[in-house]
Amino acid sequence: MSLKYITPAERFKRYLPKDYVELVDFGPFGKTQDEAGPGNMGQFKELVEEHPMCSGCWMAYYIRLIFASLPCPEETVTLGTAGCGRLAISQAAVPFIYGNYGDQNAMASGLTRAFRLRFPDKQKDVITIAGDGGTMDIGFSMTMHSWIRGEKFTTIMLDNEVYGNTGGQSSGMSPKGAVLKMAPMGKDFEKMPATKLAQAAGCVYTVRMSPTNIKKAAKIIRRAIFVAREVGPTFIQAYTSCNIEYSIPTEEVFQDAKDQEKDRFQFEEYMTDEAKEVIERVEAEEKAASKSRKAAKKAAAAEAV
Amino acid sequence: MYYVAKVNSDQCADYKCTTCTLYCPEANTLMFDTVNNTSWVDEDRCKGCALCVYVCTDMLDRNCITMVMSGQEG
Repeated sequence: MSLKYITPAERFKRYLPKDYVELVDFGPFGKTQDEAGPGNMGQFKELVEEHPMCSGCWMAYYIRLIFASLPCPEETVTLGTAGCGRLAISQAAVPFIYGNYGDQNAMASGLTRAFRLRFPDKQKDVITIAGDGGTMDIGFSMTMHSWIRGEKFTTIMLDNEVYGNTGGQSSGMSPKGAVLKMAPMGKDFEKMPATKLAQAAGCVYTVRMSPTNIKKAAKIIRRAIFVAREVGPTFIQAYTSCNIEYSIPTEEVFQDAKDQEKDRFQFEEYMTDEAKEVIERVEAEEKAASKSRKAAKKAAAAEAV
Repeated sequence: MYYVAKVNSDQCADYKCTTCTLYCPEANTLMFDTVNNTSWVDEDRCKGCALCVYVCTDMLDRNCITMVMSGQEG
């Protein structure tokens, strides 16, 4: 997609569904993060539409945050696989490809290469968003090999530490001793060290975090996308609790995310020197652009007076 | 019948605060009205998780949001 394809002809607008027109007029397409970003969610039409994820789901929240943080939603493609996450990801106004049995990273490899051939003058972002089962259990070989090959796209793992939508089986990412509905004796081996595996396999930027601070979480997502554009594979492991399988009352989900930030999901950021260079450059550019926009706005306001 | 969040607009307008809209797990549900300076809830989309109540009451101690039965006033 591109901005040109999304925008309808003015005369055709009244025949289109209202939600679509709202998305074009008040959505984040073609806007900067200051105008329609995570900092002002609730003041513009967001990309994610109604979805069947559970009440108070922290994964749904993180997905909302991912879509609000995209640097260029009209040039982005998301991929996912079986799991809770795809219920919401597929309801967003960004093309979504569903991979079977955890092959999202294999498909993303091909897609990234195809985009580079087909649109050499454009920057297309490919992001795989899958659960801990899809990324680290079922799709493990495809995830690891995409990293080993150095494919340039972003992998986001929504780590809820359980197979949430099949009834609560323990996954490789469940912590040791976790008693779940389908693992009543407790899990008897350790949680997989996902970020360490990613670093060993050649990811140039890896983060483990619990999304409680909006600004920080958005910055991480954007960094991962910017680095993937130029340097190599990037990986985010984010804690997105399953309030059903871990029996967390919905109003305490946020508190639980904060508690986990001090426990299993302590913030950990790794980047290579090359990745650091890109991040510093892009963030300086963004800062300068935002500053000049503010100055222009101020000048326009002064002129109006 | 199900619970939805309800914002006390008069009380909410006293604070220049958009925190609850940033922490709702549902997109396009808890919105912010920039004219009247208050949050408001799209009742048809609200799933009643009460995370906004936690943010407004427990975190910020402002008590502007309550859970009510859908379709009932007050």
